[in-house]
Amino acid sequence: MSALPSALSGGLGRRLILLAVVLLAVIWMSPLLWVFAASWKPNAVLMVRTDHLLSPPFTLKNYQNLVGTSSLLRWIANSAIVSLGQTALVLVLASLAGYGFARTRFPGKRWVFGFVLAGLAVPEQAILIPLHHLFAGLALHNTYTALILPRLAAPFGVYLMTQYFRAIPRELEEAALLDSASRPKIFLRIILPLSLPAQATLAIFTFLTAWNDYLWPLVSATRPEMYTLTVGLASTQTNFAQSEGIGFLMAQAVFAGLPIFIVYLFFQKYIVAAVSGTTVG
Amino acid sequence: MGNRGNRPHAIGTLVLAVSAAALAGCGEKTATEISFARFFGACDADYGKLADVKLARGECGIMTAIVNQFNATNKDRIVVKPQIVEWQPYYDQLTARIVSGDVPAIAVMHESALGDFVGRNLVEPLDEGLASVGVTPSEFTDHARRGTVIGGKLYALPFDTWSWLWHINLNMMKQAGLTNPDGSPILPKSPDELIAQAEKFKAATGKPYFAWPTVNEPASPFRTWVTLVAQQDGKLFSADGKTIDAHSAAATRALELMGRLYAEGHVKTGADYGAANQAFLNGEAGIVVVGTWTIDDFLAQSKQPSSPLAHGYTVLPFPPLWGKKAVYADGHSWVLLKGGTRDDKARKAALSFLKFLWDNDYEWSRTGHLPARQSVAASATYKELPFRANIAEITSTAYSVPSNVARQRAVELAISEEIGSLYLSKKPAADVQNAIEQRVDKLLSGAN
Repeated sequence: MSALPSALSGGLGRRLILLAVVLLAVIWMSPLLWVFAASWKPNAVLMVRTDHLLSPPFTLKNYQNLVGTSSLLRWIANSAIVSLGQTALVLVLASLAGYGFARTRFPGKRWVFGFVLAGLAVPEQAILIPLHHLFAGLALHNTYTALILPRLAAPFGVYLMTQYFRAIPRELEEAALLDSASRPKIFLRIILPLSLPAQATLAIFTFLTAWNDYLWPLVSATRPEMYTLTVGLASTQTNFAQSEGIGFLMAQAVFAGLPIFIVYLFFQKYIVAAVSGTTVG
Repeated sequence: MGNRGNRPHAIGTLVLAVSAAALAGCGEKTATEISFARFFGACDADYGKLADVKLARGECGIMTAIVNQFNATNKDRIVVKPQIVEWQPYYDQLTARIVSGDVPAIAVMHESALGDFVGRNLVEPLDEGLASVGVTPSEFTDHARRGTVIGGKLYALPFDTWSWLWHINLNMMKQAGLTNPDGSPILPKSPDELIAQAEKFKAATGKPYFAWPTVNEPASPFRTWVTLVAQQDGKLFSADGKTIDAHSAAATRALELMGRLYAEGHVKTGADYGAANQAFLNGEAGIVVVGTWTIDDFLAQSKQPSSPLAHGYTVLPFPPLWGKKAVYADGHSWVLLKGGTRDDKARKAALSFLKFLWDNDYEWSRTGHLPARQSVAASATYKELPFRANIAEITSTAYSVPSNVARQRAVELAISEEIGSLYLSKKPAADVQNAIEQRVDKLLSGAN
């Protein structure tokens, strides 16, 4: 009776778990692999069948058409400017706000913090029209300002940083205060370096969200020269792409996901830590 | 040394040349830019530099080449600048642009959407403008005129009519004994004949008679329902366009026929738009009910020897099942939006481009869409295009939802969702009819 459990907890068990994990990973990845494989197939072939992806014919045409899009570099640059700009500014604002909520006292702090958190419950669609009117009134549409500014109200970021700062022992700050360090100095020299894991988490989430954003850029950046990559790529789709242009659609998906993939390759250690840290937190 | 003596002369020449160039520049007209909002995709890699529309094919290719050709050949230094948007959110973005004051000069517009924009006073009347460049509604086909003239005023330049067609696999029809001696298909003339044919087809081939999208489909069920009601001379919408009657005898009969076809296995199950087309191309169904735009692709497949469609493809208008020829149709048109042109010069430039589009209506009809211009529809050149002679009648038999019915996209979606639930979750027809009336009346009552 006891032989089986001991075998399961030993080498055999580990192999079975590994097998199960690999199997789950393959299942999870299969749509991504399908997208990747379909991106190398001619559209005319995919119009007839989408299940024979690993056999010829293959084509580079979908990627050639994509790269041949005249504004592609401009759209990539726009996405990079917006994503990096948003990420940098959200980090600054969320860190300052988080530190304020975690370490300072002011009247109505709990109410203000609750008010900020309530922002998590407001769906983007609910504020789209007033936001659009606001930016139209300010004549800011089709500018980087309009693409970046609305996303700086980041309640998740404030919450994340607040919780992280609260977890840092107060004694560290008290020791610095005894050494006559000012609040800004303590924040910049002690607290901020200690919060790098949380900063990395927030940076990654903000960058990914900004890069993939579609709805707001669609209604705010209405001139092709101001399109972000998501809006620009979508604009190149033919009206019936889901039937006659599947390969091109899939190439677009691969291309749009490529920067994210590269970010992951370079920062996977931080991303995994960030995601698990968030989950735990 | 000898050259030094020539220097003043050379400098003088240079000054003269620069002055002449400057004067010539002053004499030249400055370029007039016209913003041109459209869908149909972008295809720079294949057609970005092509300025001869005759060499282009497909919606995207032909549209790109038309713009290139106009920019390259017009004598008035007009530069048309396309602003291309994905077609699904096109109208949302266009509305957003109008709100923010970034109004394009020319915009593509479905005739089914035109009424909404005219009702909101956003579109310029074009009677005088188009007449000034030599285009009058008398040249339009019946359907094109109905779609672009609202309240006696012309609000758009029609460009095509697109409609609901039966794309037919003749090889399978022949297998089922549903072809004439000349190879043409025998089509049903009544609902009973349709059911009988579908049963015969299924018995002979083991496959459903129809493929049409039933899953995740925002439009197809609506278009088929409208077609079947129109063929009975029925009316879905009240005269003022403010309510829908889904309980009329015609509406009920049409809905019951659609439900019965699906319930009895005569429609391919579980297919979205792409899968329905795939099923047809793979010989998994005899007929796919879809629009004019797939003719080219299906024809190309029928030329592949290994295709189930090989040498056995044809396309015909939706056959009249209740005697009257009528089929749901819509059309693409071009509008001038209010505030889109800065001055009279820009307006004239925009009208000049509209005229160019009109002159290329035949080229556009090579996409599969029916022409909006009578002379093109009647021309031998047009009828020589594959299957166009079969479907040319649609320019007069086409039926569109009246332009006073607002929010037609939303109405189409709501009705398609409800009919989808008739197919997929077996929602009783009476409940579907009630739900359609409830949802659509709410949409229409909230419109301007």
